[in-house]
Amino acid sequence: MRAARALALGAALAAAPPFSSGAQAPTLTSAIGMEFVLIRPGTMVVGRFQPACPDSAAAVAPRPDVDPRARWTGADVARCREMVRRDATPGFAATIARPYYIGKYEVTQGEWKRVMGANPSLFQGSRVADDADRHPVDNVTWEDAQAFVRRLNALDTTARYRLPTELEWEYAARAGAADEPSWPLIRESAWEQDVDKGTTHAVGGKRPNAWGLHDTLGNVWEWVEDFYNEKLFPDPAPPRGGTTHVLRGGSFTSDVKNATWFTHAGGPGNGYDVGFRVVREVR
Amino acid sequence: MPGQARQPRRTQAARSPSALEAAGGGGGVHDVYFVFRNPTAGPADALLLLTHVEFKPGAGAAPNAPGGGGIPAGFTRIFNGTDLSGWHVSRTTHHGTTPDVRVEDGAIVLRQRPYGQGGLLLSDRKYRNFELYLEARPDWGTNGGIFFRSSESGTAYQVELVGGGGRGTGDLFGEMLHVVTGARAAGQQAAWKQDDWNAFRLRVTGDAPRVTLWINGVQMYDVQTARNDLIADATEGYIAFQAHWSATAGPVAGSFDLSDSWKPGAAHRFRNVAIRELP
Repeated sequence: MRAARALALGAALAAAPPFSSGAQAPTLTSAIGMEFVLIRPGTMVVGRFQPACPDSAAAVAPRPDVDPRARWTGADVARCREMVRRDATPGFAATIARPYYIGKYEVTQGEWKRVMGANPSLFQGSRVADDADRHPVDNVTWEDAQAFVRRLNALDTTARYRLPTELEWEYAARAGAADEPSWPLIRESAWEQDVDKGTTHAVGGKRPNAWGLHDTLGNVWEWVEDFYNEKLFPDPAPPRGGTTHVLRGGSFTSDVKNATWFTHAGGPGNGYDVGFRVVREVR
Repeated sequence: MPGQARQPRRTQAARSPSALEAAGGGGGVHDVYFVFRNPTAGPADALLLLTHVEFKPGAGAAPNAPGGGGIPAGFTRIFNGTDLSGWHVSRTTHHGTTPDVRVEDGAIVLRQRPYGQGGLLLSDRKYRNFELYLEARPDWGTNGGIFFRSSESGTAYQVELVGGGGRGTGDLFGEMLHVVTGARAAGQQAAWKQDDWNAFRLRVTGDAPRVTLWINGVQMYDVQTARNDLIADATEGYIAFQAHWSATAGPVAGSFDLSDSWKPGAAHRFRNVAIRELP
């Protein structure tokens, strides 16, 4: 099986156009059929935390049937403001200095099988109603994702593939946005809150972001290269070590609160809703 | 609060609340009907019949009655009373990934950190069929829950915990999960001890779980769910305690105010957490 796959990929590579090192195309399709979108350099502010307090105690969804002890008082509003003063952070400016290509979609089960052979996903066969090969691969650890990248680099030596850094992921997912996505936009863009015997979904079925990437929010969580810092947001530089790695974007089991492009999460996640997308470096 | 903003909301009503109250107060064996109305699923109500539900007398429960009088014989502590060994914080729940979880006076204490961001404390081990015993003390003006068969991100069956033991405490529904067969803890208000520790005993058996809950020794319900609701047909999961989120990290268009889910500085406390695994 492995030999047959290598043979097929060899034929595909021979047929692929040579990679040009001049002006980068805005999109490209790799030798094994993975689609990529060019991300150009730029800056963004990362890790801004400025939650809002209610204007007054009376503004907190007053319900007549609630026990008076459950209601907010003026002292609660004052304490809220004190906590927000303590906790708020301005964030930091992050610069993406080099262009890169990033997967237009999460790595699919079909792509995983072409590169790795066996498919570890839970959502295949009778667990999905349509072609599982178009669903994102799920149930992969960070180490599994790295193994995929290694094999991909061995199969296609015309380019270098890797996981995105966390800041590369966030920059591409935000696509120029300064603030969190609105809840209506998340619902248009993401498979999320799929809570009734939910599953992954075929990639590309929801509205892409402003730069043409699909499913950055929802569907499956996405591993990135960086270690997890155990904090609410990333630091300007990731930790040099740690017990797990960062997950981004939320999944079909997330909701509008965390299927966002600011959410900074860590492994292991649920397994069945964890996948990744890859970066192809620009030469 | 179940954290299911867009999930069809079920309105639950006991067909005969007065009979429930009478049964809860006087004990005995009864048939109980719950009507579940899903406004998005069509006009038909789903009718749940709990046959031969035995109601324990609400007052004067014996110390050895389920859920009363401390950790029952045969249970093993899964919280040692001094540190959080055997427990971990979820890094993927939407409630928040950096909650303030600590041990104070022999109890697990959950608070938000930073403001507006709650979280989820999960057992390290997964459990399938079990009886769980614990004592809980949720501050007023909060919302949380005791999760079971939870995933790492908190997709779970939930026994609701309303701050102060407010109405709704003990109800069974899903967290980020559509639980087809819920249950209402109709006798909870009468059984609750205000501003004190309250004992929960929860029995869970079967892949489509049969769920029985006692609060302070008084049976709240004994319900056979219609299906295994869990994602990917999981049949086991973590025990977990939830501190609800109440504010987004910044302004978010189209969001709504959840400030009433957790007052600033409030806490949920749990002690004497013990389990007896069942075949």
